Amino acid sequence: MAGKFFFIDTTRCTACRGCQTACKQYKKHGVTKTKQYGTYQNPPDLDGNTFRLVRFSEHPAKVNSMAWYFFTEACRHCLKPACKKKADQILKDAIIVKDYGAVLFSKKTKDLEKSFKAIKQACPWSIPTWSKDEKQIVKCNMCYDRVEAGLFPACAKACPTGALNFGDEAEIKKLANERLKAAKKKFDGRGEILDLEDVRALYLITDVQAKYRPVA
Amino acid sequence: MSLTRREFLKWSGTAGAAAAAMCLGFDLRPVSSYAADLKILKAKETTSICPYCAVGCGLIVHTKKSGKLLNAEGDPDHPINEGALCAKGAALYQMTVNKNRMKNPLYRAPESDEWEEIEWDEAIEKIAKRIKETRDATFTEKNAKGQMVNRTTGIAHVGSAALDNEECWLLQGIMRAMGLVYIEHQARI
Repeated sequence: MAGKFFFIDTTRCTACRGCQTACKQYKKHGVTKTKQYGTYQNPPDLDGNTFRLVRFSEHPAKVNSMAWYFFTEACRHCLKPACKKKADQILKDAIIVKDYGAVLFSKKTKDLEKSFKAIKQACPWSIPTWSKDEKQIVKCNMCYDRVEAGLFPACAKACPTGALNFGDEAEIKKLANERLKAAKKKFDGRGEILDLEDVRALYLITDVQAKYRPVA
Repeated sequence: MSLTRREFLKWSGTAGAAAAAMCLGFDLRPVSSYAADLKILKAKETTSICPYCAVGCGLIVHTKKSGKLLNAEGDPDHPINEGALCAKGAALYQMTVNKNRMKNPLYRAPESDEWEEIEWDEAIEKIAKRIKETRDATFTEKNAKGQMVNRTTGIAHVGSAALDNEECWLLQGIMRAMGLVYIEHQARI
């Protein structure tokens, strides 16, 4: 199977959180009890029940106005996953990579509780989380069962605005370039695609990255 | 050490068996416990419409043979949403499978501050009785100008967003037959 890619066009995201909910619904994940802490973002971070999260952040724009940034976040399925490199030093093949690029945390990660922090730190975006229910390290698994059956992952299927896309490499990169051009036209030349050569989830943003998500 | 042909065969056989035993000593389970088993593969697919808002997105609902709900997602062939769903639509599964879901009507008696769970039969009878009472008490055949109106202004009806088109048609028919004029639906509000 050819390499699969996500493309997230943040200029189209309305933060409806359809992707977040579709992920939860398909995987039958429960809820995490949280408190209102002044934002629509919920839960505050990825956890054992939340493999995809829409981050909301507000920043001052012009005088007396605010800009709202939406960023749907999950594992980016790196081409050379740092988490796998770290985990392989401790327990070989606890993290596996499928031929189409999905980085999967197998049940072997149950034995990695002590090394969990090191693996989380190895990830540039701190995506892996320890699931208290499953007693293993978890994160987005690219809906490998759906993808192998020729379906879209639950999140990409649900997206109503075309912000979250999924497909083969050539198709996604072509779409990304088209959208980048359109974004640059609309946002006075601003716009970039993050980590184009490193990850399988390409993000199109039109402002500095730090405004979209907390940078580690 | 000299070996006869027979001894050589015997020894090599043992060595082979030993090698085989060593192989079995290794973990022969697959490296990954990740095998694709698509849970919706053999499920029954039924199309439906999202009940929440007036957009009316199409759904595919996957059910097991036992009729139990498995999954609900956007219908790619539906002209309105083309497979997409918003957060509410994507969470439809929990409208059916939910431990917080109410299964019986709640009744609060006049001047009581507590809700009590009652049976459907009881609730429907209570509702019917009160509709009849109120309608009979407030029914006006003629307005102040003496024109025939045959209406009741004592009852209003608000339809739930979870009603589909056909249910709405039936309901408004019943309501108009009783003379109601205040008929409204969530999707219009």
